[in-house]
Order: sequence, then C-alpha cells, then structure tokens
Amino acid sequence: MTEVPARVAWLTDALMAPVADEVAPAAWAQLRDELVRDLRALGAELPDGERLQVDAFKVRLAQRHPDRCISIDDTFTPSPRTCRRAVGVAAVNRCVRGHSPNPAVAVAAVLAEGLEDAAVADRSGAVRAPWWARWYAGLPDGGRAVVRAEAVTWATQLLTSVDWQQVPRPVIGGRDDWWQCPAGTPIVFKGRADVRALVDRRPALLVVGTGCCPADWRVELGYPGLVAALCREARVSPCRVVGVWPQSGQIRILPIDAAALRATATAVVAGVATWVDSRIEKERATRDSVSGALSVSVDGALA
Amino acid sequence: MASVLARDGLLRRLRGDGVSRPVIDPGLAGGLRDWLEDGLVESVAALPTGADVVRVNKDSLNRVLLCEAHLVAGRRAPRVVTAELARGSLVDALFRQWVTTGVIDDPWADAVASFDVDGDRDGVVAFVSGLPEAHRCRLAAEVAEHAANLVERWPSPSPAWLPRTQERVEVPLCGGRVVLAGVVDLVLGSPAHDRASVCLVELKSGTRRLEHRPDLHFYALLEALRSGAAPFRIATYYSGTGELDAEPVDEDTLVRALARVLDGAIRLCRLTAGVEPERRPNNLCAWCVGLPGCAPGQKRAGTDVALVSSGHGGREGALS
Repeated sequence: MTEVPARVAWLTDALMAPVADEVAPAAWAQLRDELVRDLRALGAELPDGERLQVDAFKVRLAQRHPDRCISIDDTFTPSPRTCRRAVGVAAVNRCVRGHSPNPAVAVAAVLAEGLEDAAVADRSGAVRAPWWARWYAGLPDGGRAVVRAEAVTWATQLLTSVDWQQVPRPVIGGRDDWWQCPAGTPIVFKGRADVRALVDRRPALLVVGTGCCPADWRVELGYPGLVAALCREARVSPCRVVGVWPQSGQIRILPIDAAALRATATAVVAGVATWVDSRIEKERATRDSVSGALSVSVDGALA
Repeated sequence: MASVLARDGLLRRLRGDGVSRPVIDPGLAGGLRDWLEDGLVESVAALPTGADVVRVNKDSLNRVLLCEAHLVAGRRAPRVVTAELARGSLVDALFRQWVTTGVIDDPWADAVASFDVDGDRDGVVAFVSGLPEAHRCRLAAEVAEHAANLVERWPSPSPAWLPRTQERVEVPLCGGRVVLAGVVDLVLGSPAHDRASVCLVELKSGTRRLEHRPDLHFYALLEALRSGAAPFRIATYYSGTGELDAEPVDEDTLVRALARVLDGAIRLCRLTAGVEPERRPNNLCAWCVGLPGCAPGQKRAGTDVALVSSGHGGREGALS
C-alpha cells in the first residue's frame, strides 16, 4: 500500500466515496423543465442574432461583478495562464497512465507533440492540433519557457493532490460538457471538470480552482455538476463535485442532490439574466452611438 | 570541474544532507492557524462592512512593520519601476527558465520575452524599452552576468524532485477577510507524508541582506498553513555572488514568523479600518515618497526632498 499525505488520502476518499443520494427522476425532470422555461424567457430577450455561451467564468462574473459584464470582450486571448490547464491536464494524464515519470517530463512531451501537430496541421490538415499549439509555436524561447513553467506548476499541483492508485480509469481533462437549451433558445452552457471518476456508475467530478476557495464555492462547484447533469439521464448524472484549491490547500465537496441542483440552477438563471441585460445594454449603446454619428454627419452635411 | 563541485555542494545544502528531516506534527498547522485567527479576531471585527480583503504579503509586511506611514504613502504613489526592480524581475524570469528548461541562450531576449508573453502586466518591458540606449545596455550586461552565474553555479534539479517555479500560496484567515499571500520562486519536493519533504528557495539578484531571512520565514509559515506540513529547509540564493543562505525550519522558526505576521496583519487591518498611520522614523526615510509631508521623517533624513534609487527625478541615491 502506498503511503500518501493525509490530505491527499482525504480528498481521494471524498471523491470516491459511495453514492449516498440519488436525484429522483421526477424531481430532476421538474427542475429541468423550470430551468428551460426560465432560459427560454431570457433567450427571447436577447438582441436579434445574439447567442449567449455561458461558462463557469461568466456565472462567477455575473454573481460577483455584474457591472463588469457589459465591458467584457468575448475575444479569447491565449496566455501562459489560459493554456496552463490545457497543457497541465494532458501532462497529468501522461503521468497517471505511466507514459511520463513526472510533470516536468510530461509537460515537455505534451508541448513537443503540440508543436509537431501544429506543423502537420499547417501542411496537411490531417491532424487537428490543440488550440494552444499554433500560438505556442509562434513564441520566442523566453515565452515558451513561461508557458512550460506555468504548466509544470499546475500539473504538479493536480498530480500531487490525488492518490491516483485509488481512482480506477480516471478521465483527466476530457471533453467539456455542452448543453444547448432546447427549442432554438440561443443559450448554451459549457461545463468543465479537470478529472472525472466513476463511482457506482455515476461520474464524480474534480475541479481545480485558483487562489482561495471563494465564499460562493457551491455555485462554482455546482455549475459543472448542473451542466453534466443536463447532458445525461438522472440515473447517470454526477454524484458529487470535489473542488481543490492547491494554492490555498482548501478542499470542498458538493454532493449533487436535488437541493444542490436547484440552488445552482437559481444562481445560473440569475447570472444569465445579468448577461442578457448587459447584451441588451450593449446593443442599445451601439445603436445610440451609430444614430449619434449619423445625426452629426447629417448636421455636418447640412452645414 | 570546480563548478560541478560547487553545484553538488549547493544541492547537498538544499537537501540538507546528513540532517534528519523533522517528523510532521499533524496538529501544528491547525494550532498556528488558530493562534493567528484568535490574534486577528478583534482587528477583523473592527473592519468596516464591505472593506477590501486585507492582503498580507512580504512587501506589505516589511513596509508596515518599518513604518505605517511609509506603506500608506507608497500605496498612494504611482508604481514606479526602477532599474533594480527591473533587473530583479528579469533575473527571476531567467532563473525560472533555467530551472524549467535547463537552457538560456539569449538572456536579454529570453527575459524580455517572458514578460511580453504575459502582456507585460508589471510594466517591465515598457520600462526597459523606454530606457536610454546606454542604460539599457548596462542593464542587459548585468542581466547577462547573472544569467551566466546561474548557468555556471545553479544545478538543474532532477525532475523527480517535482520542481515548480513561482508557486503562489494563499492562506485565507477569519473567513477570508485577511489573506496571507506569497509567490515562492522555487519549491522542491513532493508533499510530505510523515516527514517534512519540501524545500523553498528565493532568488535575489541584489545584495545579501539580513532582512531577507524574515521573508523566507514568512513563506515557511505560509507553506505550513497551506499544506499542513512545514518545509524542512528554506534558502535564499544570490545570483550575483552565488551565495546560498540555507536554514532548517523548526517550530521556533514558525512561531517567530507567526508573531511577526500577526503584528503586521493587525497593523494592516487598522490601516484598512481608516486609523491614522503610525510614523516610525527609520533609515529609509530619505527614500520615502511620503517624505515631503512627514515632519518626523524629514527630521530623521535631514531633508524634505526624497531620494530615488534610479535617477528619474529627485536626488539620486543607492538603496543598498
């Protein structure tokens, strides 16, 4: 038996504990119907042609700083911080599967493969390179070193947080969960977990946080649980989400029961409403500035 | 050959060869946390509703313990990047690169690129780009010298030691109203099971100073609170000279650090609550941006014009 730090054993036990509660299919169906109804109403308010993609960041932002939603630019900019998770999970996957002995070697291998894939993808299109690979390929040595260093630190934190021998066939990284609100509602949810393990045929999710565990951690953990549940039938919906904040050493566990799903859905609907409002405001501001510019040019022409 | 021996010696000192690593006391970290929170409870209760989180890092701690008015004046002044600060940041970046990749081909280009890739949030690239050519060349030469020293003297740690660079540590106290925070340049060793197994290293590009020790002790305390196990060793490495100050960590180290943190955190809470800062004239008054409005400081410094450390306005002087 491998000896691991007490904290690691505790987190692993929490992740893999037998499932205590199940969400009754009828209760889940009702909750889901109510959520869809609320989202459809909100979706109908979105300006014409707009589509709202919601992720954990957006839910957090709407909850903590609703005033900032209007000024957020949706354009994604790669940086060492934004790609450390993508490279880090691939590296941890290599370590857990025994393909690399440690995170430093694993990260180097993942980045080298990314460069190769980017080169092949450029030439033939036969390979799909990871999203960060082309950006990384264009960096000078000093920039690449930062990306590598950030990913090594991130991967080491995740690798040393879990007793992997106690987690059979974990999915590390894996695909994000996507849920499209039905009936043509232009709202999409994206949920992300860093590790998925199977407990009694139900997924248990592990999410790695940054900094300290926030006061609203239930929403932070509940959101990926809700999106994963929306993509599945009730009997195979996630049983729990475990959050670990390696920088502060904090761990939180959220059992995904009916109460947790309902509370999360309420918070998410409130967040979506904030984003819809900000999109309406943004559209109005754009329209006003265009009409203002028009009136100026008309005045100018008249003068 | 000499550099290989020097590297080996440095590794042995980091590992603390020949010294048994302390057994972890599972109750110590919880006890330290309780002690801190008990000590802070009154100060936190006095914070106004909606007040910002009180962040305690090595810089705010050093400044508030030196002179509360100095800290407040520094916070009000715009952040100024100096040649010394820029050199420290650039050498830090090269140390990170060396530990991670084992290669530094073009120190200046690599160091500058490391800030560029992250959007130059600290303004280092903007500062060096704005320097007159001669100053920039001098700075580049200094950075290259530090890089050469690192390559010659600093051993590449085995990846099996799980080296991680610029690891951020944050410890929330009193429900998150106070956060102790730090970024450790290099952490070695996997998390401890029954014996302490982690070593923390801070890199300094400036002169060796006694005041660097409390910074390390603060980090040792942070690591103990975060992971439940104190590091077995803490060290400061001076890239200019190759000197290494390494010391073991015991309960006394942590308790001394705790007393200092508590003193500083209470002062920071008082300032956040709007209490008038206490003035403590000291040997850095001559460089304080608050000097023009501080009578005790002027008396101590013998002037009301503050010195600056890199010659951009004011009188020039050397901080060291």
